[in-house]
Amino acid sequence: MTVKVRFFARFRELLGTDIVIDAPKGKVLSELIKDIAKKNKEGFDAIFDEHGTFREFVILMRNGKRVEIGDAAKVTVVDGDEIAVFPPVAGG
Amino acid sequence: MIRIQKDDVDITVLINSAKVPGTGAVVVFDGIVRDDGITEMDLEAYEDVAVPDMEKIARTATQRFHLLHVDIVHRIGRPAVGENILVTIVSASHRPDAYAGSRYIIEEIKKSVPIWKKELTRDGG
Repeated sequence: MTVKVRFFARFRELLGTDIVIDAPKGKVLSELIKDIAKKNKEGFDAIFDEHGTFREFVILMRNGKRVEIGDAAKVTVVDGDEIAVFPPVAGG
Repeated sequence: MIRIQKDDVDITVLINSAKVPGTGAVVVFDGIVRDDGITEMDLEAYEDVAVPDMEKIARTATQRFHLLHVDIVHRIGRPAVGENILVTIVSASHRPDAYAGSRYIIEEIKKSVPIWKKELTRDGG
């Protein structure tokens, strides 16, 4: 199944964006992001702490809806999902 | 009009369109790229979420502060020092509502809408 992952701001600079992944059935959100982030240590460290836990300021969205980082290990992605990962916003 | 765009904004046009029947006050907020030793700002948005978020903020502000008209234009791309970043224009029958509505909109945008800005310096930082 195909899932699109979009990183923004600093995370985009380190990991790219609009990454299309062929994810296996049953893949959870946290593992999906970890797999992608592993390609760049600095990018991984920006999102995860030394225990591999999401840093508390990281914001996750699935199809435009917020997912709490504490739930990311329980949320299973499905075909066609768009996942967004970004740091705190700073518009205006 | 709620919009994210690269191009600059014609504020005069927006002010005129905000003067709908019943208007007694128009408040303009114009956020500018400040000269903090930078050359330009790099602005990025998650537009699929940011536009609906700003539309929701505008709806809430309209109800709460009895606004008659709301425009929000947030720029992306690379505006230079002195250029507009964010323009909000609200109209209301009375001045207190227009001021309060304008303030509410900018504070909510800063709090929750997925838009980011990065300062670019002369040395490429």
